[in-house]
Amino acid sequence: MSEMDRARFEELMDSYVLGALTEEERLEFEEHLASYPERQSEVDELSATAGLLALYPEEREPPEDLRGRIMHVVEAESPERPQQAERRTVFGRLGELLSARSLALGAAALLVVGLFSWNMVLRSDVQELQSRVQEMQVSRDARMITLEGPGLEQGAHVELIVAGDDRAILMAENMPPVPEGKTCMIWVIDDAVPKPGGLFDPKPEAVAAVVEEPLGGADAVAITVEPEGGSPQPTTDPMLSAEL
Amino acid sequence: MANKGRQYLLYADEDLMSLVEGGDAGAFAALYDRHSRAAYSLAYRMMGEKQAAEDLVQDAMLKIWRGAGSYRAERGSVRTWILSIVHNRGIDQLRSLASRRRTQEKVEAEAPRSQPSEAFAESWRNSQREQVRAAMRTLPPEQLKILELAYFSGYTHVEIADMLDLPLGTVKGRMRLGLQKIRAFFDSRDLAVPQ
Repeated sequence: MSEMDRARFEELMDSYVLGALTEEERLEFEEHLASYPERQSEVDELSATAGLLALYPEEREPPEDLRGRIMHVVEAESPERPQQAERRTVFGRLGELLSARSLALGAAALLVVGLFSWNMVLRSDVQELQSRVQEMQVSRDARMITLEGPGLEQGAHVELIVAGDDRAILMAENMPPVPEGKTCMIWVIDDAVPKPGGLFDPKPEAVAAVVEEPLGGADAVAITVEPEGGSPQPTTDPMLSAEL
Repeated sequence: MANKGRQYLLYADEDLMSLVEGGDAGAFAALYDRHSRAAYSLAYRMMGEKQAAEDLVQDAMLKIWRGAGSYRAERGSVRTWILSIVHNRGIDQLRSLASRRRTQEKVEAEAPRSQPSEAFAESWRNSQREQVRAAMRTLPPEQLKILELAYFSGYTHVEIADMLDLPLGTVKGRMRLGLQKIRAFFDSRDLAVPQ
């Protein structure tokens, strides 16, 4: 938009502050405003009048859980969040542990369980996890993979710790709540075929779960929301996933 | 922590915004508690149902949390800014809906309801709300309807003209007269337009 005369500016201004311009007109108007910043105060004044309409609707109390959902994300993103450092410590220590060549397997298993039982909520009980961890071959090939996807926007942080023999533990934190009757399901995807890898309950606290399907040769790991008890095939799009 | 929470209650909105810009989640919670009711009421009016209203408020509030640095005090109050974000996101969502469930009947069915004296007793914010409602009641129905279709239902002036079978100039004229009349309501009573 090159030039907009005063009459055109005034003609569009009312619709602009009400949000009623077409996209083209809005761009035209804002381009003009950028060129004539002295007219901004006029627009602000009329916007204040139009903004009064926001106070017109009948008052409604927002649902209590809406605050919790929003603050869950906000606190996860806040740089002041105290548990952030703690989480890194746990993940970091576990990563070091799994790559520690000199560590005896039994001691490693105990340490893993010690870390988890310290402040984590386990899908299964600690003893079960301990026995599964003891089966895992701990070597310098162990690696940590961060899952990505839409779940990140809700503050979820999920890492997969893959041991040398392609068995893995999934650690999830700040998982968004799922509807009643639903749970999170892990999938190991091999040649585009998703294989069930276990279930875990999403919680704001840290959750650990052993991936029940070996990862050998698999292409990716994904998490979907499924009915309690799991599904034979994914029924929703992955909220988080990682290529292996 | 509890003391800090109480301290937030003493801060002005603009001070809370500065803290939010620095990533202070407690300050954001205080802002949410102050303005979520107005934000949700607006969202519900625009979206017409609970779940969509919740989604809109969540979307807008997270935008506010992540974009607190874009607030400019010289352009208006924090409340006006928050509600403008809810409004703009709401319009975006309404316009992107595959099937527009918005109808003229919906607007008519949700005609304004007055909530007289009790609002005055609650707080000065509710008092402002009541002043706004009083201002709206001074509008002729044809002006009020056009303002509602534009502001709450997200229709463009061209769409409103088509829908009501009116010349575009008439729609624009009624928008202008409606806004002028609201402004005149406050001017005539020596009331400042709430920011």
